[in-house]
Amino acid sequence: MEEAQSIVGQINGADIVAAAKYIAAGFVMAIGSIGSALGEGNVAAHALDGMARQPEIEGALMRTMVLGQAITESTGIYSLVVAIVLLFVV
Amino acid sequence: MLEHLGEKLILTVSVGGFSFSFDVITIGMSWVVIAILVGIAFILRRGLRQGIEEKPSRTQALIDSVVELLQGQLTANFASEKLARELFSFVSTIFLFVLFSNWLSVIPYCSSPTQDLNVTMSLALLVFFVSQVFAVRMKGGMRYLKGFIEPYPFLLPLNIISEVAKPVSHAFRLFGNVFGGMILITVVTAKFAPVVVPAALNAFYGLFIGAIQAFVFAILAVAYINVAVET
Repeated sequence: MEEAQSIVGQINGADIVAAAKYIAAGFVMAIGSIGSALGEGNVAAHALDGMARQPEIEGALMRTMVLGQAITESTGIYSLVVAIVLLFVV
Repeated sequence: MLEHLGEKLILTVSVGGFSFSFDVITIGMSWVVIAILVGIAFILRRGLRQGIEEKPSRTQALIDSVVELLQGQLTANFASEKLARELFSFVSTIFLFVLFSNWLSVIPYCSSPTQDLNVTMSLALLVFFVSQVFAVRMKGGMRYLKGFIEPYPFLLPLNIISEVAKPVSHAFRLFGNVFGGMILITVVTAKFAPVVVPAALNAFYGLFIGAIQAFVFAILAVAYINVAVET
């Protein structure tokens, strides 16, 4: 009991900010990557549907799929940038 | 090792009251990439001949296939034949620069210049200004300005924001991918597995993701220029 109280006495504002920083970065990546993962999987699934139906346009579908996935990925990249800013800049 | 992750070597020069800061590593590595590209161009140039030959040499066949690949995959997406001819060298230069920048991180004691936001942002701004200039040239000044108040005049702020968001997301996409890969490799090397595993990670993030992101960067440049010119 006394030991716990002495630890509580040592915690200052900077420690709380550091802890909040790591927790926030973890939440940013965990929640932020859900959307882009679902979106990219959706794009790939529908592109595969199209390829199975019409194998002759595979090349064009592949190019459009990569482009669509790259645009979908940008929300995930934004959360990565926010996490990096939280960890290294704040 | 991890303490040095965000550090940069900054050279500050003050000239007449203004102070200019240079990131020495980024600029040096950019020059390394430029030197590699120019060196390859000079070496491969010797095997080339003008005109059609009966039996092309090996270098000729290599360069022909690379140019054909770039034309088929990148510039075939342009709206018009004329635009594709005019911007082919611009887009393929960006593609080759980004590709070799991403691949440079595989070499020890080298870091890729694209892991600095300044480099990717300047490339994205370059694409942005080219797209605006070509939009004005193709559509004329009045139709270009009219495009901002369509379909309704009160959507003007939204149109401006969507134009500005393009270079920002373009730059952050490449920067985030390369920088995230670099952080992952550094952390794994320093904390978990210093042998064998970093080589596989370097091959995946440096070579594979680097090539895909370079392709995506170039194809998005084509798409942005296309959208600006067409609508």
